[in-house]
Amino acid sequence: MAVAATHVGGGIADHVHPEPQGFIRRYVFSIDHKIIGIQYLITGFIFLVLAGLLAEVIRTQLMNANGGFVSNNTYNEVYSIHGSAMVWLVVIPLMTGAFGNFVMPLQIGARDVAFPWLNMISFWMFPVAGLMLFSSFLMGAPVAGWTEYPPMSLQGEAGTSMWCAAIFLVGISSTLTGMNFMVTILKMRAPGMTLTRMPLFVWAQLATAPLSMVATTALAGALAALFMERQFGVPFFDPTKGGSPLLWQHMFWFYSHPAVYIMILPAFGMISEILPTFARKPIFGYKMIAFSSVTIALAGFMVWAHHMFTSGLAPFMQLPFMLLTFVIAVPTGVKIFSWITTLWGGKIHFTSAMLFAIGFVVLFALGGITGIFLASVPTDLHLHGTYFVVAHFHYVLVGGSLMGIFAGFYYWFPKMSGRMMNETLGKWHFWLFVAGFNGTFLPMHWLGFEGMPRRVAVYDPQFQFWNRVESVSSYVMTFAILLFFINILVSLRRGKKAGPNPWKARTLEWQIPSPPHYYNFKHVPTVYGLPYDFSEPLPYRGLEDELTDAPAPVPAGAH
Amino acid sequence: MAVASLPQQHAEHAEGGVDRFYEETRDLRLTGFLFFLFSDVVLFSAFIFAYLYLRNSGQSWPPPGIARLDVAFAAWNSVVLFGSGATMHYALENWKHGNFNKYAGMLIATIVLGIAFLGGQAYEYTHLYFVDKVSWAGSGIFGASFFTLTGMHGFHVAVGVVYLTVLLLQSIHGVYTKDKHFGLTAGTLYWHFVDIIWVVLFSIFYLI
Amino acid sequence: MTGSMIANIERAGAIAGGIVVFFVSVVALKNDWKTPGLDNQFFKIMLALLAFGALIALLAGAHVLGNFGKAA
Repeated sequence: MAVAATHVGGGIADHVHPEPQGFIRRYVFSIDHKIIGIQYLITGFIFLVLAGLLAEVIRTQLMNANGGFVSNNTYNEVYSIHGSAMVWLVVIPLMTGAFGNFVMPLQIGARDVAFPWLNMISFWMFPVAGLMLFSSFLMGAPVAGWTEYPPMSLQGEAGTSMWCAAIFLVGISSTLTGMNFMVTILKMRAPGMTLTRMPLFVWAQLATAPLSMVATTALAGALAALFMERQFGVPFFDPTKGGSPLLWQHMFWFYSHPAVYIMILPAFGMISEILPTFARKPIFGYKMIAFSSVTIALAGFMVWAHHMFTSGLAPFMQLPFMLLTFVIAVPTGVKIFSWITTLWGGKIHFTSAMLFAIGFVVLFALGGITGIFLASVPTDLHLHGTYFVVAHFHYVLVGGSLMGIFAGFYYWFPKMSGRMMNETLGKWHFWLFVAGFNGTFLPMHWLGFEGMPRRVAVYDPQFQFWNRVESVSSYVMTFAILLFFINILVSLRRGKKAGPNPWKARTLEWQIPSPPHYYNFKHVPTVYGLPYDFSEPLPYRGLEDELTDAPAPVPAGAH
Repeated sequence: MAVASLPQQHAEHAEGGVDRFYEETRDLRLTGFLFFLFSDVVLFSAFIFAYLYLRNSGQSWPPPGIARLDVAFAAWNSVVLFGSGATMHYALENWKHGNFNKYAGMLIATIVLGIAFLGGQAYEYTHLYFVDKVSWAGSGIFGASFFTLTGMHGFHVAVGVVYLTVLLLQSIHGVYTKDKHFGLTAGTLYWHFVDIIWVVLFSIFYLI
Repeated sequence: MTGSMIANIERAGAIAGGIVVFFVSVVALKNDWKTPGLDNQFFKIMLALLAFGALIALLAGAHVLGNFGKAA
């Protein structure tokens, strides 16, 4: 790619589609990546509320050692759908579909993703799949947890088949988004934006997209097999017909371990944008952060069997999987140290986005450390299937991914809406959320050590005190999220005008008006360097007209 | 479909005989199509892994009570499919050199060979079902893995036959030109992909 | 016709067709060897695999390959 192109823009990156007219084409079946990103965001937040309410059903049931809030079978349905919805309908679509779609093309200086129509189709599969998943309650929801291990999933009610179909559909949506992003990032960057000049959020999406593409397709195979076995009696997993329940675990975790990186890598990218902006300091170790994302993505494919240490895996397989899992902690540690070093000596502005970003670093590090406990075979034999596992993955998924989503939302909300979020409510949201979060999930560590099994509707009364603490704390967390939604609604109406660059950030999306025009850039800029050198002039040319009254670019041919 | 109609609509972008818009969108579409094929390979790989895993979980293969597959017929049928790959290659070559008649002949030969392969597969399925009493759901992991994988592949061949027929009709109607024929390139890539998958399936079901 | 005769005809067809397809693929690969472009690189890989496929099909037809080994 030409580094010092005199002819600004040009080619596919400079191709302007005419702006669609009419409400339906503009806001419903839109092909604009920004609208699609916001559609993903709204839909994802709706599913966050639904799946969050299911979590409160779980916590309310566990207030008492002998349960009693819902029936035991309903409890099984509730935690299964809670897990499935949070993974496939909340975190993955928000990380890739919402923030990836809105931010990534702006950051690479493109006018849209590579295949805008495909993008629209991927989006519309997602709410349909979500409705299918929740509709499984009507026909007897799955009861074997979000992992749906056979033979239990083979005996589940009809809703289990619906679960397969719903996850299959949302998986296809995620695969198509992955392909779209791969092509966009590889082929549509603005002139001069070499791979090592890309913002770190784009690097994170570039590491995530192949995971969505490869791993999710493997999951589609597993789901299709489970569906065929349930509906047509084709034996894959039923041991009485020669099948193997372990086969499902291999196929499922071959997807689901990379999937945990789909859920966290984009958050790493967001944090790498937010920390330097509010510390007013260049990111420390740009290349190390970028390459560690790719290393994590590649290594993520080689560790899936660490979920199966108690499943009867051959002992000679356990050692390599344990060691490889430890190895993944190295690039993750590289990132955490880079972030801390970025903050070191910076001039830190504690905005809500920054608070969530710092909270992310701390809580994710805690979750990562308990991951090392679980990756080690001897410890895992004791901890597997206990609340320790629940604590671990909620620290990385709530303390990590969801905190990342909040951080990213506070950071990019002014760009999406043109208005600022309310900082007071934002800080209440942060502190209540962190307090509630730790109150909910920290005690689960010691409950797990003492042997409280996960996925049970009633439990030994000796665990009741901490369970009550957790339940009360979880209500605090839910209240904090309520504050967050109130903040969004209030800020949309009354927030103060943001202007193009309220954070004085340096990536491309902040150099254009908020919200951006349909065509994103009046002229596609030329990029001369990294966006993180806060003392230098901006490394872009061709942006002079963005904030003036210069005419909009002329659309090329009806499309 | 928009893919086919792009080159004509954006003729105004042409500079010095090279349509930059076409070249760049072709690049995007080619990359995207290769990623699509790659993820399809992963889908097959998931089932191939399942097959090999299940196969190795038992004592003998085929499982007791199930006859061995007919290698001779499958070898012949494979050659039919591989031959269609060769004709497809020459169809595209002839298009690039502007020999429309040879192109059409080769493409029709590809379609006919593809249908012949499907016919052979249908024959093999009926033979297995009625003579050897092997079925999808009723023959344990053997029927499950064999019919699922070869059925998936047969579905891909059937889709490919329809796809190539559409391409033939489009090229007769002048959708593609000598220089702008990404649709034909994509069709050729897809058809080769279907062939290559069969190389793998043939090896793992009939040869090992 | 007996089953073994049909099988022999199939085998003969597989061998003859396999030889033809193998050489056609190799010649096509040789002719395309220096073509540039991402699509042509993939075509070359696929032609090589096609030749390999024709080879194993013809060897299967010739009774060299095939699962006639160790069944129960």
